[in-house]
Amino acid sequence: MEKIKQNAIVKKIGFNRLVLIGVWILLYILFAILTPVMKPNTSFVSYSRILSIMQYACFMGFLSLGVTFVIATGGIDFSIGPVMFCAALMGGYQLTSRGWPLAACLLICVLVGTAFGILNGLLVTYGGLPSFITSMASMMIAKGVGSVFTKTQSVSWPQSTAPGGWYRNLLSIKAGGVDLPIGLLILFAGAAICAVILNKTKAGRYILCIGSNREAVRLSGVNTKKWETLAYILCGMLAGLAAIFYVAKNTTVQPGLGDTFNNDAIAGCVMGGTSMAGGSASIGGTLIGVLIIALLQEGILAMGYQSHYQYIITGIIVLVVVYVDLRGRRRRN
Amino acid sequence: MGDVILTMKGIDKSFPGVHALDHVDLELRKGEVHALMGENGAGKSTLMKVLTGIYHKDSGTITYEGREVEFSNPREAQDAGIVIVHQELNMLGHLTVAQNIFIGREYMKGKLIDDKKMNEEARKLFDQLGIDIDPTETMSRLTVGKQQMCEIAKAISHEAKVIVFDEPSAALTEAEIEELFKIIRDLRNKQMGIIYISHRMDEIKVITDRVTVMRDGGYVGTLITKDCTKDDIINMMVGRVIYEDPKTESAVAKDAPVVLKVEHLNAGRMVKDVSFELRKGEILGFSGLMGAGRTETMRALFGADPKQSGDIYVNGEKIEIRTPQDAVQHGIGYLSEDRKRYGIVVDKSVAENSTMASLENYMKGMFIDKKKENDVAQKYVELLRTKTPGVDQLVVNLSGGNQQKVVIAKWLVRNCDILIFDEPTRGIDVGAKSEIYQLMNELVEEGKSIIMVSSEMTEILRMSDRIVVMCEGRKTGELGIEEATQERIMHAATLRE
Amino acid sequence: MTDKKKGNAFTDNPLVRAVGLQKIVVLLVLLLMIIFFAAVSKTFRQYPTILGILDGTYYLAFLAMGVTFCLITGGVDLSIGTGMFCYALAGGFLITHKDMPVIVGILVTLLCGLVMGTINGLIVSRGGHAPFLATLCTMMIVRGLGAIITGGASITWPSHSSPNGWTRMLFKLPVDRTMYPVGIIWVILAAILLSIFLNKTRPGRYIIAIGSNKEATRLSGINVANYQMLAYIISGFCTGLAALAYSSAYQSMAPSGGGGIELNAIGAAIIGGTSMSGGSGSIAGTIIGVCFMSVLQSGLPMIDLQANYQQIIIGIVLIVAVYIDVLKNRKLAR
Repeated sequence: MEKIKQNAIVKKIGFNRLVLIGVWILLYILFAILTPVMKPNTSFVSYSRILSIMQYACFMGFLSLGVTFVIATGGIDFSIGPVMFCAALMGGYQLTSRGWPLAACLLICVLVGTAFGILNGLLVTYGGLPSFITSMASMMIAKGVGSVFTKTQSVSWPQSTAPGGWYRNLLSIKAGGVDLPIGLLILFAGAAICAVILNKTKAGRYILCIGSNREAVRLSGVNTKKWETLAYILCGMLAGLAAIFYVAKNTTVQPGLGDTFNNDAIAGCVMGGTSMAGGSASIGGTLIGVLIIALLQEGILAMGYQSHYQYIITGIIVLVVVYVDLRGRRRRN
Repeated sequence: MGDVILTMKGIDKSFPGVHALDHVDLELRKGEVHALMGENGAGKSTLMKVLTGIYHKDSGTITYEGREVEFSNPREAQDAGIVIVHQELNMLGHLTVAQNIFIGREYMKGKLIDDKKMNEEARKLFDQLGIDIDPTETMSRLTVGKQQMCEIAKAISHEAKVIVFDEPSAALTEAEIEELFKIIRDLRNKQMGIIYISHRMDEIKVITDRVTVMRDGGYVGTLITKDCTKDDIINMMVGRVIYEDPKTESAVAKDAPVVLKVEHLNAGRMVKDVSFELRKGEILGFSGLMGAGRTETMRALFGADPKQSGDIYVNGEKIEIRTPQDAVQHGIGYLSEDRKRYGIVVDKSVAENSTMASLENYMKGMFIDKKKENDVAQKYVELLRTKTPGVDQLVVNLSGGNQQKVVIAKWLVRNCDILIFDEPTRGIDVGAKSEIYQLMNELVEEGKSIIMVSSEMTEILRMSDRIVVMCEGRKTGELGIEEATQERIMHAATLRE
Repeated sequence: MTDKKKGNAFTDNPLVRAVGLQKIVVLLVLLLMIIFFAAVSKTFRQYPTILGILDGTYYLAFLAMGVTFCLITGGVDLSIGTGMFCYALAGGFLITHKDMPVIVGILVTLLCGLVMGTINGLIVSRGGHAPFLATLCTMMIVRGLGAIITGGASITWPSHSSPNGWTRMLFKLPVDRTMYPVGIIWVILAAILLSIFLNKTRPGRYIIAIGSNKEATRLSGINVANYQMLAYIISGFCTGLAALAYSSAYQSMAPSGGGGIELNAIGAAIIGGTSMSGGSGSIAGTIIGVCFMSVLQSGLPMIDLQANYQQIIIGIVLIVAVYIDVLKNRKLAR
């Protein structure tokens, strides 16, 4: 075991991440075997399913990446799902009901997300409010704003074939009769940027250190409030980006929803090795975590169960993963 | 004084790396107030923790009321009649006074708590002690002094036979201390045994019957208070031979420029009108007993805690320090006394900790220049002789002394000219200690200036060019190293208003 | 020498101190709000509206009273809103789909609450999880369970007119074609019992003590984990009661619903003076906060604000209430 851990390649990727990849493969095999058993004449192994998993992972991925920054500071953001919906509703409403150009509407999505990030960040750092209650309050505000803005109507973004439907190509593009998951590439690119921010820039360095020991960083003469706020802003912005990929997959958005995605995003994050206690985070881990969540979601649906099972499973996953992390920490101290 | 109620004999206790108690003896009689004295770290608190079952002794015997006892937790000690009134209060601020006193053993009327009866009982208790406190008042609304009285009342309500007061007067006003003494005399008349831990010499003379002095975890001796003088006690407390040579004269020129001047600094309860100057190339020692307000002074100066008033000048220029950021901007670095909480980020690497305060200088455009960062970290690892397998090692894996060096490196990388070292050698082994001393001397030779807060007399005398002594938030003395002796420092450190 | 820290004449007034400044202020604002809504909107003054407001108060009161206990220990229970739906669905499903006696449905609803409360309590007190995270996870779990139990179908408890409709009369008693809001009696009764429990029994006292200073409580020889757990069990049981109140007041309950209601309840408790940082809180204050929330919720549509504004306003109210709490604690710490 130790030998494997010391292997150069293993070290480079990270042992835990390799285990997660293994889990993903095992789960895939499991679903491949179980799906025909549970639901005769259905197959799990198909390109369209892979594509579906990838598409789900896309918007979840952006949500998860964002919340990784916040969790790294030792905080939490429960508003990401509803903020994503709010952004999609506002952008889509401008597009469909007011006839704004598509590019502007995509920008609106990102801006709405960023605005909520700023709100959360300021309340938590400068207001001194607990992050969980702040973000739950802004979750309500996001739901309300979304509904009010669209007058409680759901919004349908244009289909691929319709004019202004090119945004769907961001998720997947048809080339020679095959759907290519472009979105996944964009997600990976986004993740790469996030990884650079987290590991190579001042912002990332301070965000991680704040999560580990806020007071020591403050006493080093660092403006901790500024950097902590930035984590929330990044999180909000990425939720706005996630909105674009959500509508590219689903086109229709309903007001008043979105909170179910919070847990999936957080689950992806903690599974990937980001500690709820703050201070350590892994972008690569988050990505794999999200892919596992996406696979679970697809697998559960494929076996003929409804997504309700997914709620239970992610709930339990978060509890278990966080418990393991807690115990590890306690033992080290 | 009556019969012996408690005897501790040959108590020995070791922690990894520290021999905390070395065959300590203590004898307490009924109707006696027995002072327990010693410098910081002499082992007084440890001894009391052994008595009340918080720590378990390695060897020795405790005889209480004629029987040998060993308590496994404070609760057992309490049930047997030995209670401790802690320095830091264990109160429940949201509950009332009476509810606090009877927590865990409420009077019941059927299934319900009988608050009325508890208030009555508390009132009786207060009457008996002659204290005027309303038992129905919420605890957090009382002054610290009154809260202390409640703790005492709680202790007595346990039908205590032995009460330990751990620095009870530290937070009290003059009038409150009078009240406290009245209570203690009362308790003495009721034939209770009282152990009184305090640093205040004049109090000891007023209230106690005997004094036991401890030093460096060992037993020095027991005196009858009325037969001895303050100087006798001080001599017993500091009577250690100093192996390392104390500095005899300051290396700093009389006309060396003043790099830092603090005037009339006030911050909270613990910093009252503190003024001092720091010269270039000087090590300014800050001495005093526990709770003298030295750390608080430094934190206020550094902007870590808010201050109410006071002017700070760096190189003759008046500056405004509101946050640590401001302080760092002006070239001040602060090495906290609590390294793990305030100094280092334990689960980050040596390199990351080293550049914490000056990351902007180690950037290549938007990105951190990892190579430059590692280089500078490596440079200071070598310069400070930090023992680490590499600069990417997590700080948590280093020893205390090496962690301390990483914090020092952080401020050197920042190129701070004024360094505040708050207990720089706390929890560090002897070898690493002398390395830190050597390092400090090298730093001042290079023209940096250091304020060193230390509770160790030897350290103060060995390192400082000048010594500021504080007591209860005020500056009570300033001594050049030429005139400084342990006795003179101790005098100033126990000089109350 | 003064006994007390400084305050002004008003806040030191014994009556003000006995009731609590915050409660008095909130009560005044509540009265003003009622007067305002009543003056502006005719509908607000009508009897059915008042009945409607009361319907919205009962379940919220039970939830908020339960979560007050968790908040007092310094924790929180986020599973209550979704939990309420889940337990009501489980009980209702047995009655409507499995033809079980109504009493069984009621007992199952309450039992579900107790069990989930115990699970929350165990995870928090024994597992050492942060309460918000633990209860968020159980919230997801009950959300899934509710849907699985009913197979995704919505459930309506028997209506007034049906032979099994007596559960509805527990809260609204029809006499001569007029509905009487008898639910008030149950809420007040529960409030009195819980208030006595909180202030007059040992477990209640220890729950306050834990929130005030966990370590000092432990040193007083009190089993902290047990009493911490108890707070969550109470919260769970109250959620069961809320489920009964909800199902008797409203028509159909969709599975996976109820999310967000926990914030109304937590908001109500904090508005009533219960602190997020633990140690202080009162049932009476929570009831005042509940009235505040339900009047606000019912009143807003009356002044032509769409129902959706409610969420925004409640979000803002929540932030303001928590911020006031943070400021209060900062002042105390000084």
